[in-house]
Amino acid sequence: MTAGLRRHLRIVGYVIGSLRRRWRKNAAVVGVYGLVIFTLASVVFLTQSLTQESVASLQSSPEIMVQRLSAGRHGLSPVTDAGALTQIAGVGAVAPRRWAYLTDPATGETLLLRVAEGGRLREHEATAGAEVLRRRGLAVGGTLSLRGDAGEPLALTITGVAATSTPLEAAALITVSETAFRALSGMPDGQAMDLALRVRNRRELPTIAAKIGESHPATRPIIRDDLVRTYTALFNWRSGVIVASLLVPVLAFILFAWDKAAGLSPDERREIGILKAVGWETADVILLKCYEAATVSLAAFVLGAGLAIAVLVLPRPPAVLPVLLGWSTLYPSFRPAPALGAYQVATLFFLTVFPYLVATVVPAWRAGTTDPDLVMRG
Amino acid sequence: MIELRDVTKIFNAGQPNEFAAVRDVSLTLDGRGAVAITGPSGSGKTTLLSLIACMARPTSGRITVDGETISSLPERFLTEIRRRAFGFIFQQFNLIRGLSARENVMLPAYPTGAPLGRIRGEAARLLDRLGLASKADVRVEWLSGGEAQRVAIARALINNPSVVVADEPTAHLDTALSKDFMEIMRGLRDEGRTLIFASHDPLVYESDLIQRVVRMRDGRVLDAGGQP
Repeated sequence: MTAGLRRHLRIVGYVIGSLRRRWRKNAAVVGVYGLVIFTLASVVFLTQSLTQESVASLQSSPEIMVQRLSAGRHGLSPVTDAGALTQIAGVGAVAPRRWAYLTDPATGETLLLRVAEGGRLREHEATAGAEVLRRRGLAVGGTLSLRGDAGEPLALTITGVAATSTPLEAAALITVSETAFRALSGMPDGQAMDLALRVRNRRELPTIAAKIGESHPATRPIIRDDLVRTYTALFNWRSGVIVASLLVPVLAFILFAWDKAAGLSPDERREIGILKAVGWETADVILLKCYEAATVSLAAFVLGAGLAIAVLVLPRPPAVLPVLLGWSTLYPSFRPAPALGAYQVATLFFLTVFPYLVATVVPAWRAGTTDPDLVMRG
Repeated sequence: MIELRDVTKIFNAGQPNEFAAVRDVSLTLDGRGAVAITGPSGSGKTTLLSLIACMARPTSGRITVDGETISSLPERFLTEIRRRAFGFIFQQFNLIRGLSARENVMLPAYPTGAPLGRIRGEAARLLDRLGLASKADVRVEWLSGGEAQRVAIARALINNPSVVVADEPTAHLDTALSKDFMEIMRGLRDEGRTLIFASHDPLVYESDLIQRVVRMRDGRVLDAGGQP
């Protein structure tokens, strides 16, 4: 082992002892600092989870969806529109999509109703997302009771668990036969919620969308990538609003950190003076304070970020979830899958750990460059 | 050999409260033995001691240690010389509270990168020599004044310096403890170390241990040598 490495080890050993000696102060800093990081991390991680959830939900969507506008709002699309759209150059296939939102009077939840592909379900059969079944205490073979569009009760036998790609889908999806779908949604025959277009060349998406807009002015073509961007921007915006509302506690912490870290206590100043006087270099003192600050800030980061991750996977949704989602009743209660991007973690790390390191090391450097003879004067 | 040529130290230079703690001091401390710097409070003893022991740089003038000019050295090299050549015993002892006697003694050796076993062994040997073996693991704030000073002496010796510097070493000790301290210093002198004290206590500068007394007043050396 080299002398340089041993010197580092001795300083690290001293840091451990120093943190232990001031454990009350350090525990208080880690606690408050961790709480601030936890709050910020919760918003950042939850935003990332929701964004990922929405993007994943859209992955199975068609490249272009065409909605019919009625009185300026989304209306039902005649299935016959599909023929005209197929004629547009570059369009591969057009399929009417039959889906609807359905409020379950028993639970008050909003469900997503779809027609099962390939007509594989009979009139009184259904499949449902795993979370839909769990919350109703149902299993395969059980009966799901819903209310039809005209108010009549409709009992459906669960024949299987619907394949879903996201927790949101698993908490909302019910697939039924076309007959049951009409009865539940009230959607007339020959109508669909929208039309799904497959396009041969992805680079032509904007051109095709523009052509549809021109040739079918009563429709609204929606490109999937635009939708992904909109969702991402929406969640980032909401996240930004929450982070902005957290500015006051964050600033309070920065002041607290500055007071505790920047304003070295007389004891700490004296200790630095003694170390210098007995032969420690300024670089040794800075290294000591760097290690101390790094330990405190890393502990707070692990505590705060760890708690934020724990909250994401806990059974009760965090209070901030409705704020990020919006207050739309279209969303069922669901747990977003934790999604931690390296970029988010790195940003959070840089924004929380780095300022504390600077706030600690700069005054230590200033104290470290003081002549040690001042210590001799007591 | 330590040599000072026209050394001046001004504090708060350019400020309304500017004052010269040491003025135009020229002094040569040669060979081994014990030197006492004495004078009334505010005479510049402690500042001169700081300058001699590389704790501070002079505002003007030149200081050499064994022929090497140290007054213009960068901080890093000055620290290296201070750590290698000088051991300090402060008036207030300046031990770090919360650490044990052993840990305080070991502190100056950490930046040297010496193996931990060797540092621990040397600390144990010094504490044993000063009668503190049983107090090695006791936190320093629980030690008596005399014990705390002996810990400070052990700390001053951990890097085996050739010069031991003590600032008002008996200021917080009664007569018996002061005499004990001087006996410990006698042992160090007999080992061949140079001792430099700043003190206005006759128990120190009138001791038969002292071979030379430097008298100061108002930052100037009035008498650079000779017996009291």
